[in-house]
Amino acid sequence: MIKEQIYEVFARKSHEDSLMHVGSVNASDEDLAKVYAWTMYDEENWVEMCVVAREAIIRVTHDCQIPVWGN
Amino acid sequence: MNNGSFDNVAELEPACKEALYHLLIACADTKLLLGYHYGEWTFGPPEIEAAVACCSLCQAELGHVRLFHGVINKHFGDDPDELISGRNSSQYANVRYLDKPLTNWAELIAANYIVDLALTTLLFSLRESSFQPLQTNLDKMIQEEKYHIHHGQGWFRTLANKNTETKQAIEKSIQQAINDIFEWFGPENSPEDELLVSRGIKAQKNSVIFEKVYSEILNLSSQIGLDLDISKPDASKISWETWTPKSRRAGNDGPDDQILYHLKGSKNQMFVLS
Repeated sequence: MIKEQIYEVFARKSHEDSLMHVGSVNASDEDLAKVYAWTMYDEENWVEMCVVAREAIIRVTHDCQIPVWGN
Repeated sequence: MNNGSFDNVAELEPACKEALYHLLIACADTKLLLGYHYGEWTFGPPEIEAAVACCSLCQAELGHVRLFHGVINKHFGDDPDELISGRNSSQYANVRYLDKPLTNWAELIAANYIVDLALTTLLFSLRESSFQPLQTNLDKMIQEEKYHIHHGQGWFRTLANKNTETKQAIEKSIQQAINDIFEWFGPENSPEDELLVSRGIKAQKNSVIFEKVYSEILNLSSQIGLDLDISKPDASKISWETWTPKSRRAGNDGPDDQILYHLKGSKNQMFVLS
């Protein structure tokens, strides 16, 4: 069964920059996520762009909670 | 020039020069029609991301058309505006699959996956072409086409796996697209095609390029465990005696007049400058 996922998109404009979060896309697989990220967030000449499935992200804080060591 | 390469078609014998011209027109026309269909699907895809992608794919194809037309203009003298607005339907040399409106998403994806892939595989065979002006533009085109292929593959997988209805829809469209690219590539051992290969303009014959595309479809289907109900076209069913390298089809039809009307901007002739 095909299921859509949210993919978070990260990119940087130069090799000196850190990767920054630029947005997200919905896609049913990694190939489509790559195409959608590339076509949706093409306002810059990125030197690197990555996508990661949101469900693959390991949360450090609990949802909607301030971590015990502050924010 | 060294290694048999050349940057001026005046160095070619007339038959080879004509074959090269036909090849460039066929590529440009197919890209023009692909761009038209992607543009039409900027609105209506199943999700907004696909709409943005179609818009981007359209933009890339039209950019490639301009590059091809630039080469054709410089080396063969054709006016790019005339190539779009000055020809009638039977003078186009696009893949037949693009002649009519693509009325559902599966039809568009078959154009994206099969027709676009066939053309890109052909472009790949021109990467080390002896015709130097082609090499200048090809790397950029092929780099951009990488995303077109990912889009086609991704949606092919999605539709083939979604349910029986979508699988049947994509199978039907894929089979039609395969039949049409087979016709576009032409008969086995076409003298024009063999001339282009022997002169080093193309690395491979069209029959080899078709086999690559067909294998790619079977490989991807196999990777996802899909039993795809498609078959290789029967060459004996095509009236090759009416096929010409100029039109790249059997018969003398072409794109729908309504599509050409939009492509040529006929409705807005009164606003054309100069």
